[in-house]
Amino acid sequence: MTAFSMNVLFAVVWVAVSGSATFLNFLFGFVVSALAIGLVREQAQGVSYLRRIGLILSLVLLFFRELALSAWKVAVLVTRPKLEARPGIFAFPLTVDRDFEITLLANLITLTPGTLSVDVSEDRRTLYVHAVDCSDIEGARRDIRDGFERKIMEAFR
Amino acid sequence: MSDALILSAGIWLSLALLALSFLVTVCRVVAGPTLADRVVALDMLVGIAIGFIAVIAIKTGFTLYIDVAIALGLVGFLATVAFARFILSRGTADEEGEPENAARPRPGHRSGSGKRSKMAHGGKQ
Amino acid sequence: MSLVLTLVTVLLLVAGGAFALVASIGLIRLPDVFTRMHAASKAGTVGSGLLLLAAGLHSGDLSTFSRALAGFLFFILTAPISAHLLARAAHKVGYRLHASTVVDHLRRDNP
Repeated sequence: MTAFSMNVLFAVVWVAVSGSATFLNFLFGFVVSALAIGLVREQAQGVSYLRRIGLILSLVLLFFRELALSAWKVAVLVTRPKLEARPGIFAFPLTVDRDFEITLLANLITLTPGTLSVDVSEDRRTLYVHAVDCSDIEGARRDIRDGFERKIMEAFR
Repeated sequence: MSDALILSAGIWLSLALLALSFLVTVCRVVAGPTLADRVVALDMLVGIAIGFIAVIAIKTGFTLYIDVAIALGLVGFLATVAFARFILSRGTADEEGEPENAARPRPGHRSGSGKRSKMAHGGKQ
Repeated sequence: MSLVLTLVTVLLLVAGGAFALVASIGLIRLPDVFTRMHAASKAGTVGSGLLLLAAGLHSGDLSTFSRALAGFLFFILTAPISAHLLARAAHKVGYRLHASTVVDHLRRDNP
């Protein structure tokens, strides 16, 4: 995360030096400084900063696709003449353990099809998820584990 | 010319859809059997109002309306958070009797129901 | 170019209004507080977000568009938080789930 704050700092400096405080200029400064930091990092310790940015971007893309899909699923569920919901709250065992990652995962789950995070247990091991369709709990758990949780682990570890 | 025509048709259609959904959501606010239902519906009303503001920004051409929409979103979020805290601190789920369609607590029907009613009474003391 | 922009704006407008309507129909039809939250937090957010994007796109001005985009992202960030808080408060206080509910691990693990 220090690389990221350095990146933002560089972008701010770029905006200050180039003297035009527009969003586009900031974005340009951000991209240039990301490239520079990635280049230096590669030489210094082999942690690929650029690759991490790519992973975070792919997480964001996955999120927007799931969001569109989830709004569509709600639309289909609601406009069907006969409601056939089998709602329920199931427990999801967490693999991620840092506060930041749990928060991110809970927020992502809420905006994905048919699931809504309700609570986290005191020991931060379990996330309780409310689902519209609870007929296949194992499948829902597998979707979350192999989808968002794996992506979060890849991007922030 | 046809540009403006298409745009104004889209704006009117969107306004009609928003007005209809506003009406339906107000029905839920009025009917909503429990406080939580009403809070969810009010949250939704703020969202619809933001949509209205955005459409009116297009209709009038004042882009300043977008800032108004963002400010309204902030206020709505804070209001919902405050309501959630209020529901939590009030500590009881009882409203005017049973929530509609809810599972009736029959003896032996569900293990949790006895504890819940105790909780509701405890909150009143 | 301007025709394409107009068409995209109109598409966003109609889609946003339709999602708002779907969310409010869900609010009326779905059986309990938790399932209603699904409709409000997903379809409702997407609806008002699309309308904001349409407003930003129509202005044809980059700074206005970036402001609208920031508003959209802000709604996407806050909607799950308020839904989560409400659901947690409602469950903790003891609002009943609908009779068709199949499992409730949260009640099972916190007796």
